[in-house]
Amino acid sequence: MNSLLNYAIPGVPYGCEFALMAVGLVLTYRATGVFNLAFGAQAFLSAFVYDLVQRSDGMPQWVALVVSVGLLAPALGLVLDRLLYRRIPQASTTAKVVVSIGVLIAIPELVPMVFSATTRTRLGHLWLPSGRVYVHLAQTPVTGAVISTVVISVGVVAVLAAMLRWSGFGLRMRAVVESRRMAQLEGIASTRVAATAWVLSSVLAGLAGVLLLPQMGSLDPTQPLEFTALLVAGMTAAAAAGLTSLPGAFVAGVAIGVLETVVQQELPSGSVVAQGLIPALPFVLLVGALLVNPRLRTLGRDTDPLASVDPPPPQPAVTTRDARLALPMRWGFRLLVVAFLVSSLTWVSDTWVFPFGQGLAFSVIFLSITLVTGMGGQLSLCQATFAGIGAFTTGQLAAHFGLPVLLGALAGAALAAAVGAGVALVVARVSGLLLTLVTLAFALFADSVLFQFSWSGGGLAGVTVPRPQLGPVSFAGDRAFLLLAFVVLVACAGIVVAVQRGATGRMLAALRGSPAGAAAVGIDPARARVTIFALSGAMAGVGGALYGSIQGPVSPADFQYVVSLAFVLVVVTTGSRTVEGAVQAGMAYAVIAQALTYVPTRFSGIELILFAAGALTYAAHPEGIVEYQRSVWLERANGLLRAHDRYRQERGGKVGRSRHGDGGYGGRHGAVPGAPAAAEVVGRG
Amino acid sequence: MGDPAPGGGAGSDERTTAGRGAAVAGEPLLAVVDVSVAFGGVQALAGVSLAVAAGEAVGLVGPNGAGKTTLFECISGRLRPDNGRVRFAGSDLAGVPAHRRSRLGIARTFQRVEVFPELTPVEHVLVAARARQGGAMLWRDLVRRGTPRPDEVEQARAIVGMVGLAEAADVPVAALGLGHTRLVELARALASSPRLLLADEPSSGLDTTETSVIATLLRRIQRERGVAVLLVEHDLALVRRAVDRVVVLDSGHVIADGSFGQVVADPAVRRAYLGRSA
Repeated sequence: MNSLLNYAIPGVPYGCEFALMAVGLVLTYRATGVFNLAFGAQAFLSAFVYDLVQRSDGMPQWVALVVSVGLLAPALGLVLDRLLYRRIPQASTTAKVVVSIGVLIAIPELVPMVFSATTRTRLGHLWLPSGRVYVHLAQTPVTGAVISTVVISVGVVAVLAAMLRWSGFGLRMRAVVESRRMAQLEGIASTRVAATAWVLSSVLAGLAGVLLLPQMGSLDPTQPLEFTALLVAGMTAAAAAGLTSLPGAFVAGVAIGVLETVVQQELPSGSVVAQGLIPALPFVLLVGALLVNPRLRTLGRDTDPLASVDPPPPQPAVTTRDARLALPMRWGFRLLVVAFLVSSLTWVSDTWVFPFGQGLAFSVIFLSITLVTGMGGQLSLCQATFAGIGAFTTGQLAAHFGLPVLLGALAGAALAAAVGAGVALVVARVSGLLLTLVTLAFALFADSVLFQFSWSGGGLAGVTVPRPQLGPVSFAGDRAFLLLAFVVLVACAGIVVAVQRGATGRMLAALRGSPAGAAAVGIDPARARVTIFALSGAMAGVGGALYGSIQGPVSPADFQYVVSLAFVLVVVTTGSRTVEGAVQAGMAYAVIAQALTYVPTRFSGIELILFAAGALTYAAHPEGIVEYQRSVWLERANGLLRAHDRYRQERGGKVGRSRHGDGGYGGRHGAVPGAPAAAEVVGRG
Repeated sequence: MGDPAPGGGAGSDERTTAGRGAAVAGEPLLAVVDVSVAFGGVQALAGVSLAVAAGEAVGLVGPNGAGKTTLFECISGRLRPDNGRVRFAGSDLAGVPAHRRSRLGIARTFQRVEVFPELTPVEHVLVAARARQGGAMLWRDLVRRGTPRPDEVEQARAIVGMVGLAEAADVPVAALGLGHTRLVELARALASSPRLLLADEPSSGLDTTETSVIATLLRRIQRERGVAVLLVEHDLALVRRAVDRVVVLDSGHVIADGSFGQVVADPAVRRAYLGRSA
């Protein structure tokens, strides 16, 4: 018993961190429907500033606390609410999660730009000196860090819970949770409730960050991952509490913290399993909780009684296009592709051919996001993991069995498909927010366990993927490789288009539109998800193999969970619904990175900040900002053509061809033979 | 009253016996036997039994909160009853998920329309017809580059034409009004070649002209296609036009079962609708 306590006590402060995170997550989720993945980043920012202020000469602890947790954290909460989330109250849970990913990625990139990027050690603490032993509990020394963390967290959460239970604010918040719009109709200023929730949650984040400082060895502003990785434990606790109960979330958080340390001490130290277990445990717990508690499966499903009045997402730009624009646009696009290929193969300098090749590889990976997110309607945060499986499998098979790279890539794709199907199968009945969380947890699990073995990702050393060879043709040169990558991309794009236009695409559109309606016509949602995850995994695997092959050496760091998050940001910025969106995203991602090599390294984070800013518009334009602009331009072109028609009519001239000969919506649905022109209705603006 | 007995009239009506695949001899197409559902302390259904014969049109009426929609959810598989059984075409549906019930031949429409906003009416029918077939959809998409077979499209257009949506056949449903979306739901339900259609308040939110269209259509579906219809509806005029037999639910119990005329004359029914003093 004593030895168990010995293990458990050091776990309590960690548990309190998780608990604070869980409570903060539940708070904003309940009040605003936002599952705030940026919580860890907010914690990081407050901790960073706390330590910075405390280091300044003569600054007492309380000043640092006031600045970081009392001023900065609430201000950040208010900014997030005012600038972002207040503008998207009606957006889907997925869109809100994407926006929070934008914040999660942007904050740590901004910090080294604003402050210095030097790593700091001997970090500050809050209240009691962290190292000093105050009391012995069951012969275990209890340090100041443990006491400060436990007392402060329990106190704060108790006050918060009491406030929500008995105060008028608590009552208003519960009304807003039921239906923001209904509450508004009842005269509740739901925006104020949401703002308060953001401030409170942000303070919790700040507090969690500051309390965590003494437990961290060092603070590297360019590597704030420790903070975000903790989030998975926090979100597991939040999910275990059904995203509803604050005390439940707190208890679950503490329990996870204690469980982690106990399990860690029981395992033999040094093995990959033992080292990776801490980040992996929440994944196991999350999946376990889902399997055990069927109530959790419906989490995050939109239950707002007024949700049915929301308009559907806009149609892709191409569907509202005037028939006369179709031909020039098609030929313009072909011309562009030919110009790109010819230029890349002839006069473009080697410095740029390489990123172009990378861009094509990224495009293939991003098509997997088009499949799973654009078509499947599920936000997956482990696409880089699937890509990693493709790359590592190809490299390992080439190194150990001498398998040709192209065959290895197919094997990698098959394996990634199997893993993708496996992930979807384990949580077969789960969709929406929880599926997203499971994919994120899986990505962390792969980072810390799956890819760390010498036979898989090769750990720190990584794996080398050779360039392909097809008979006598070698693709070792960058230009030859670019040509190969182009062919692969065209094939993959063809697959995506076929699936999109076909029965599978219609089935997925049905599921996106109405899960209940889809079930009523016999569509098995679990099977549809498994199918799309498998296909998406395969595509990411092929893309990963291409990427690995162009890079040569790749390591698990290339396919970390943050990379998955960045991928999602890039794709939703350009457009997750179309093949063009994925290709534009892939090329932009590689080309901007190359362009940024010409600016000081301090600003290399600009690319992700750019895309994060793009993702913030996702809720307003779920079709992607580039796709949105395209439809704006197309609408203008349509308008010009219509004006031209009117002009000719007025002059008594004969209007040439039918205005909507292409059949408007039939553009995408050219597959349905005999579809009459319908653009009159579709092009409703 | 509680015994599941096929209704009078319809079974012997030659026009309605065109149902394909007869059920097990002597058993109705749908048999709800002693089904109970409680939500917390509220007993939504208390030992409800009813039967629908193949090709028969039955109305299910009752005041708000009587348990009509709950019963629908039990039949379509979105809700698991606490007690009792639902049998369809001779087999027990316990543990059969909603999407499989649809493939067995139970189609439904929803009180709050559940359509696919991005798809056109023709695509609604295509997706439903294909879902019923099951099979290797992905592979077929890749081989045929996503194009549906011409005969599939032709059938889909025929169904869309039957419900009167030919002109809007290729317009995304998001652009249609409520009356049209209810027709899309009916077309989609027909696409899976059902043997039983569960229609949940199809006139809700519609004007009298649109309601009349729905009534005619429900009768056509029953008579021309031999589909049994179970209709939940508040609009008694529509019920009278569309069904052969009416079952009345009140507070989770079946309180009357008979022809429209019998049921509206039943004192228990009048009490349920108008209160104890009536």
